[in-house]
Amino acid sequence: MAQNPTIPSAPATKRGALPHPEEFTIVGKGVPVKDAVEKVTGTLKYAVDFAVQDMVYGKILRSPHAHARVVRIDTSAAEALPGVLGVVTHEDSPPGTWENAWFNYRGKILDGVARFVGDDVAAVAAVTEEIAENALDLIEVEWEPLSAVFDAEEAREPGAPQIRVEGNERPAYTVEWGDVAEGEAEADVVVECDVRFESQQMASIGRNACIAEWQGDRVTLWTSSQSPTEVRDGIHEAFQIPLSKVRVIALPVGSSFGLWWSANFMMITALLARKVRRPVKIELTNEECFSAVKRRHKEHTRGRMGCTQDGELTFAQFDNVIDNGAYGFKDDVGFFCVDMWGRAHHGSWAIHGVNTNLCTAGCMRAVGDITLGSCVERLADQLAEQIDMDPVEFRLKNQIGAGDELRMQHSRMNMKGSLEEYVAGIPPELREHWPELFHLSSGGTKDILTRGAEEFRWRERWRGWRAPYASEGPKRRAVGVGTGCHVCGVEFEGATSAVVRINPDGSAQVSAAFGRQGQGSETTLTQVAAEALGIPYELVEIDAGDTGSGPWSHGSLASNTLYRIGWAVWAASLDARRQLLEIAAREFFDGADPAELDVQGGLVHRRNGGSGVEVPVEAVMNELRSDSLGQTSSITGRPAMPMPPAVAFARHFAAHFVDVEVDVETGEIALLDYLACQDSGTIINPQVMKNQAIGGSLCGAGFALCEHLVFGEDGRILNANLLDYKLLRAADFPTSGKVLFGNSYDPVGPFGARGAGEASAIPPGPAITQAVYNAVGVWIDMPLTPERVLAALGKTG
Amino acid sequence: MTTLHVNGRAHELDVPADATLADVLRGSLGLYGVRVSCSEGECGSCTVLVDGKPVTACLMLAAQAEGAEITTIEGLAENGTLHPIQEAFIEEQGFQCGFCTPGFILGAKAFLDEHPVPTEEETALAMSGSICRCGSYPYIVQAVLSASRKLSGEPARTAS
Repeated sequence: MAQNPTIPSAPATKRGALPHPEEFTIVGKGVPVKDAVEKVTGTLKYAVDFAVQDMVYGKILRSPHAHARVVRIDTSAAEALPGVLGVVTHEDSPPGTWENAWFNYRGKILDGVARFVGDDVAAVAAVTEEIAENALDLIEVEWEPLSAVFDAEEAREPGAPQIRVEGNERPAYTVEWGDVAEGEAEADVVVECDVRFESQQMASIGRNACIAEWQGDRVTLWTSSQSPTEVRDGIHEAFQIPLSKVRVIALPVGSSFGLWWSANFMMITALLARKVRRPVKIELTNEECFSAVKRRHKEHTRGRMGCTQDGELTFAQFDNVIDNGAYGFKDDVGFFCVDMWGRAHHGSWAIHGVNTNLCTAGCMRAVGDITLGSCVERLADQLAEQIDMDPVEFRLKNQIGAGDELRMQHSRMNMKGSLEEYVAGIPPELREHWPELFHLSSGGTKDILTRGAEEFRWRERWRGWRAPYASEGPKRRAVGVGTGCHVCGVEFEGATSAVVRINPDGSAQVSAAFGRQGQGSETTLTQVAAEALGIPYELVEIDAGDTGSGPWSHGSLASNTLYRIGWAVWAASLDARRQLLEIAAREFFDGADPAELDVQGGLVHRRNGGSGVEVPVEAVMNELRSDSLGQTSSITGRPAMPMPPAVAFARHFAAHFVDVEVDVETGEIALLDYLACQDSGTIINPQVMKNQAIGGSLCGAGFALCEHLVFGEDGRILNANLLDYKLLRAADFPTSGKVLFGNSYDPVGPFGARGAGEASAIPPGPAITQAVYNAVGVWIDMPLTPERVLAALGKTG
Repeated sequence: MTTLHVNGRAHELDVPADATLADVLRGSLGLYGVRVSCSEGECGSCTVLVDGKPVTACLMLAAQAEGAEITTIEGLAENGTLHPIQEAFIEEQGFQCGFCTPGFILGAKAFLDEHPVPTEEETALAMSGSICRCGSYPYIVQAVLSASRKLSGEPARTAS
């Protein structure tokens, strides 16, 4: 990246433009997360632990019907119950439609129609939770049942019950390049698949609660959320009140994976609080979290791929139907597998988002890529087998690398005018430092696949397709590899920002709107700020999740936080540092050019040794306080320019290697060894990143091996609890926790870092499925439960 | 009135007959480190020690705990000094969101009291009573093994 006076670059080093983590003072260090002591002493407060003065309690009445209209609702008996303060129904609901980020939810707060079993119908506020719950039974509802549809393909048929006023199906989202017919003609081998995916539940252990308090026409919400500004924007849309009247304080989340962005129960809490003129807290039960908020999409993927005899992909053609449930409104889903396999000569991809009368579906960790992406991997493996090529080699040959074109060009549609017009509109001083749009700026799978294969001893352990390396009694052992790619945040709703203040005592404060769901961003973003400011890490604190202080940002979703909010924190820190050095130059360094000064460890000094004078930041700030020019006594930094659009060039990658043992008599699969390799550019905190890589592996392995929601005939979720919805436990996953990091350096992200949270959830499915295939010779659709394994081996029925 | 002995202190409480130990520890004593999630004994988040044994507080009635010594996560650190297990969880970063962490740490305490020098396999099995949805299991197991070394002064056993 070229140097530019208006865009401060990373500190110059002896290596030149690309600093190495070893040369940083705090970036790259595995410091314990900021809230580690609170976590191990149990003192961290989640929304379920939070209370405000005078608070009362709310409970939500849920629909027993999959699709029905409220003809009449009588709340008089509920209102008369001693202790009840008020009831809200659709008659109290404002007319506004609110939307969650990227169409994860679109609807009114309450509108008198139930669209899935468990849908919100009404809510009661009372002085105790028990009274509120008892009052729910006293609400009389007369229902007009409507026909319901639970299968996305059926919901696409003419004459299907219509779930939404907008119709059931979104316009198809397509990506096309070349001509698939030509690609087929070029191919020596063609394979196809037809796979139906089950729905995974985020199964957030921490549950959630929301407290809403109105003061006059202003409302404050406390809730566990990944994306405080999305909650604020939702309230703004639903209640049609100015953004300045809404403050959201996002509290730490007891895990999330997409479940807790903004949710309708938060809107209901605000509605109920407005009605009863008291702060109201609604705390959801585990069952409500499981069955009434959100879940992963069910998908149906049909695909075809072809390659030449020497393993060159000639075409990829996929058609994917995703079930949005009742209130999801998505067309695209993830789709970054399209980029990763974009070297295929020809491509044709279509995604159809369809509503059904099932619980709302929305983005869960690695959305789209964990499903559609696994089908691409399956077909790639089948092609590789047909030409007798090693799966690592096939991936190395066909996956993109830095500089290659990105095929997933959805963001073009969100740009003003054509791409050329958009680029022409970018100020030249910015444009010359932007990466080439719609080309991968850095990273890829090559480095992690190559070094990962070596670390895993892949060449020793891989014995060829359908060739277990060990076989003893009913047990077969084999290895597998899988890869995944996901985004690093997208800017469909705008650029992110952050504010960095240097306090009068020389400490610093970062304010940014993001979530704390365990991903460690409060720590990594503080490391970024401390490195950029030159102020010791211990003196830098971060205020996460308060829309009252942090400017708009997407929040912690779409692997956005470290890349885009991290960039904003970095840019704001450099702006604050620039102001600090200007004052220091004037007051302490005889009017030197501020560019000749540097700040490290909280001390300002001349670069290259100079006079040896070191001035503490606090002294500079004290000078500012007494400055006769009457400047403000603290420094506030903000990003001085927009970040280039990440979706147009940044991706993060994962490659995983697994060793499995399949018992052909019981159908059980044991994971014997696991290596998670991650390409996320510079690793800001290796401890945090290891947890993201292994945590993603567990999420993906759960989806691959056991997790799936079971829907009843009326669309109701039958296993909405942790007894019946099985999650992996400590003994189900190799205990070594081995992780390998890629060596790339991002040209835009803070200190070379990129997004990190989601790619790691993608490869477990393909890797495990492939290893099982190598062990027993059958491709099995996920989840690979013992029943499915036995059925695939012809051992049941 | 019911007397509960919690973290070395006695508390006289008016406990309804149907109140769970988790309800009382959280609601009456403000010990929010007792995390409640599934309310059916599956997730292990609400694990506390009752006379040194791990118990899911969501399934035990408060009245049943009368006369026993109850330890919650708030009672593990002494005079502000973290217990070696807590230190080990920080060093190995055996957590992400932290919701399940008190349950894991108390489960580990009971386990190490009985098995001071466990193998990796024994540890993984013992730590399977709780759920970490964030998937930090390998680092939880490493933390417990590290705590075992600190507490016992001996290296971990390897499986025979």
